Amino acid sequence: MDISQQDLQAYVDGELAPADAARVEAAIAADPALARQVERERALRARLRAEFDPVLDEPVPSRLQALLRDDAPAPQSSKADNLVAMPTRQPRPTWQLPVYALAASLLVVSVSLWLRPVFTPVRMEDGRLVASGPLNRALNGALASAPDSASPVAIGLTFRAQDGRICRTFEQRAMAGLACRTHDGWTIEVISHARDAAQGDVRQAASAIPPEVQAALDARLQGEPFDAAQERAARDHGWR
Amino acid sequence: MTRVNDAVRHGLTELLPRLRRLARALTGHAADADDLVQVALERALAHGAQWRSDARLDAWVFGILRNAWRDEVRARGRWQQVLAPEEAGLGVGEASVERHAEALSLAAALAQLPDEQREAVALVLVEGLSYAEAAEVLDVPVGTVTSRLARGRAALQRLLGEE
Repeated sequence: MDISQQDLQAYVDGELAPADAARVEAAIAADPALARQVERERALRARLRAEFDPVLDEPVPSRLQALLRDDAPAPQSSKADNLVAMPTRQPRPTWQLPVYALAASLLVVSVSLWLRPVFTPVRMEDGRLVASGPLNRALNGALASAPDSASPVAIGLTFRAQDGRICRTFEQRAMAGLACRTHDGWTIEVISHARDAAQGDVRQAASAIPPEVQAALDARLQGEPFDAAQERAARDHGWR
Repeated sequence: MTRVNDAVRHGLTELLPRLRRLARALTGHAADADDLVQVALERALAHGAQWRSDARLDAWVFGILRNAWRDEVRARGRWQQVLAPEEAGLGVGEASVERHAEALSLAAALAQLPDEQREAVALVLVEGLSYAEAAEVLDVPVGTVTSRLARGRAALQRLLGEE
């Protein structure tokens, strides 16, 4: 079977139709060199995402938010010849930040999303619910086999779903849910109130999972959930 | 001066985190990145009337941001210093020393790519756009995006010593 570099790249980027993807997968299974190449490409992508995704969780500087406020003056046409210098960045005392945030939130008319990446675990992106903030970090980095007691998020089961994606159950405070890895993040498949019983021992995730989440898990699970070694390997390979 | 409508304004507000991520990947420097986002927002607001509501707002403003970087912000930024570790603004916050070292080598490797390859890498691999969406942002055919991306990937693997 002859797989071009272009096919391989399109496969790694999720750009192939299912039939073509299956053809590439068969070739990869038969050729360790191709498999290594796919792993390298995925590792590169995971490294880039690990480097730049944290920017999404940073607070947006108030000078940028201010530009978009409803009462901001209309900007002048920004031609290169009438620009003099960039406005200087003035470090603000941190105690002022909540005041700015509050003022801005009152000015933004619609339910804008700009605070959500900072304070809430999910956000909307292209009509999907996507994990954000500490939840996203935990889904990316945490291992159920090596729980981090400082994290607000507890990871339960990790498994490969029937559609090939890797999915993980999680609990964060009063919520429990199931997230599956897509090429650009963790899509929240289902989210529900965690049962009170879950508060005591979140590591026993399988028994404490709310029924809605359990049903979603049962519908997707094929084979067995990952053991500790498989979970670690999946993380190291960028959840591909 | 036409005031841009509230839909554009709110759409841009929602896109701010992603704009900052893309700018960080293009510039390799936190302060340059926010300067770039500011210029891109000013341009988008000044030309908001040109956005057609049947087009994707993210593709439109990503294109503005990319053009602003190419023709304006870089010239006055800290771009030339990206290879100097103490000047690079990456890896702030919780980054460990080890991660910091990795970040610098990744930033340095990205900085060495030709513009068009770095743009393709940033849009597809960092921002998660499809090839078709990246082609729209860059205003080139899809085949051009895939070849730039392939060359950018190969160069990054080489620069990072993973090939």
